[in-house]
Amino acid sequence: MILETQNLTKQFNGKGGFKDVNISIDSGMVFGFLGPNGAGKSTFVKTMVGLLYPTSGFAWINGFPIGTIESKRKIGFLPENFKYYDWMTGKELMKFHAELYKIKNSDKKIEKFLDLVKLKGHENKKVKNYSKGMQQRIGLAIALLNDPEVIFLDEPTSALDPVGRIDVREIIKRLKDDGKTVFLNSHLLSEIEMICDEVAIINHGHVIAEGKLKNLLSKNTYVEMVISDYNSELIEKISKLAYDVAFKDGKLTFKVKDKDSIPEIAKIVVDSGAKLYQLDSKTSSLEDLFINIVGKDEDVC
Amino acid sequence: MLTITKYTIKEMIKKRAFLLIAILTVGYLFIYGYGLSLAFHNNNQVINNTPNIAKILLESQLLSAGLYFSNFIIAFLIVLTSVGAVSGDVESGAIYALLYKPLKRHEYVLGKFIGLSIIITVYSTLLFLSVIGLNIAFGTKVYLGLGNVFRALFFFDLGPVVLLSLVVASSSIMSTVNTGVLAVMTYGIAMIGGILEQMGSFFTDATSQGLSNVGIITSLILPTDVIFRKMNAELLTQNTGLSFLAQGPFGGTSQPSPAMFVYIAFYICFLLYYGTRKFEKRDL
Repeated sequence: MILETQNLTKQFNGKGGFKDVNISIDSGMVFGFLGPNGAGKSTFVKTMVGLLYPTSGFAWINGFPIGTIESKRKIGFLPENFKYYDWMTGKELMKFHAELYKIKNSDKKIEKFLDLVKLKGHENKKVKNYSKGMQQRIGLAIALLNDPEVIFLDEPTSALDPVGRIDVREIIKRLKDDGKTVFLNSHLLSEIEMICDEVAIINHGHVIAEGKLKNLLSKNTYVEMVISDYNSELIEKISKLAYDVAFKDGKLTFKVKDKDSIPEIAKIVVDSGAKLYQLDSKTSSLEDLFINIVGKDEDVC
Repeated sequence: MLTITKYTIKEMIKKRAFLLIAILTVGYLFIYGYGLSLAFHNNNQVINNTPNIAKILLESQLLSAGLYFSNFIIAFLIVLTSVGAVSGDVESGAIYALLYKPLKRHEYVLGKFIGLSIIITVYSTLLFLSVIGLNIAFGTKVYLGLGNVFRALFFFDLGPVVLLSLVVASSSIMSTVNTGVLAVMTYGIAMIGGILEQMGSFFTDATSQGLSNVGIITSLILPTDVIFRKMNAELLTQNTGLSFLAQGPFGGTSQPSPAMFVYIAFYICFLLYYGTRKFEKRDL
């Protein structure tokens, strides 16, 4: 595990933040961290990179406890509320951060990352004259400067236009191909769905769902059947394998937690003597999953 | 730490405030020099007939006044440029991109302190030497030995460093606004305390002791005023034998004890230690 937490908690006077978070992330993974505003996502990331001190619990990055110099050596971080010394030029800013890492002969590296984030040609402009999107790009370049093993990106595309978002997605994919681990905090569910291998959903400071994205999505497969000549016994049998069973507009609808139960249900329908005219299944999107899980959690709270 | 120091100096130089300070300082020195030229080269019969000793006394007061207001300018420069040394980065969020790196928090704070100290000391030295230079250039009759000047320069530079240690420590713990309020108010308290202590010499009874105690207490809160008076004494007393030259509204009749200078060394170290310790434990 390149990143692991055990009951990690950060609260402010017993309120806010997050509580008892247990997460394990393998290296080379793109991990999505989702949650509504104020759920504790940024607090979690700031705790992991050593800006906030945990109230209790433990966490390690690359085997080193968080907040230690050793754990900080191999991480990169793009903060959500990024702000850089705007009196410097882009190149000076990169040089400054390279010097903080004690990187020798950093010029080539700086050129490489300026090129990667498409800021070549703008490196001699003062950062205060950069657009918000350009500042976010240079922040990303800075986060990659030390060749980190784990990169924390807190809303990395919030200030970017659609083209910029695609660029960042490509950079994340390239990082993954290079074996890097990316911890991605984002509101953009479609973005997470496109690039993440695993996700965790946090609400009110608690992780309420976690796992491989594929598995989480397949747990919520929506099925629609057009049938006739059915009886109540059949509905009862289906209810044992599915949930949210309903009969609406001449269609039997239900959800299954495992896609493999769909052929089994179809067989039960046919064996019962009912006529099956049509069967459609649709795996829910991350947005459906998010709304469903967070909505249920809100009901409980 | 050296990187932070280097870029703190760069920031001060690159910002337009630095240019503005340089221009206004030239303006200040020009006005001061103009005043000296009028006072030193006056053909008024009354002044010409004044004994030399009285002229020396007048000129020493002009020198002390020049240094006093220079010291005042430096103090405000420190407040204006350094109150946000740490808190400014925290409030803007610039600190996030710095302190997730393998940089110890105390290195960041000390790096800022050293960088600002270098800039302020260079400025303070230039201002001090300019004031002395103007007095010599206009033919002051006050004896200014090289040893006196260098000893006085040390104390003239020490005062701003003491104030800076308070500002940087406070900026590591509190907001920029609160640091500004604390620095200005503390400096004001030290100044009024110093004046009251000097006034104490005009009395002989318990009032004298009471005023002296006020001065001692305010010196403990912020020893900038007592350092300035020590500087004045070093510049004007030691070799001439005319100790009264160091007196007057900008000088001092009573000198700080050696224990006070031990306290000053402790004061700087303690503030920086306390500020960095608090900053190290702080959630950002």
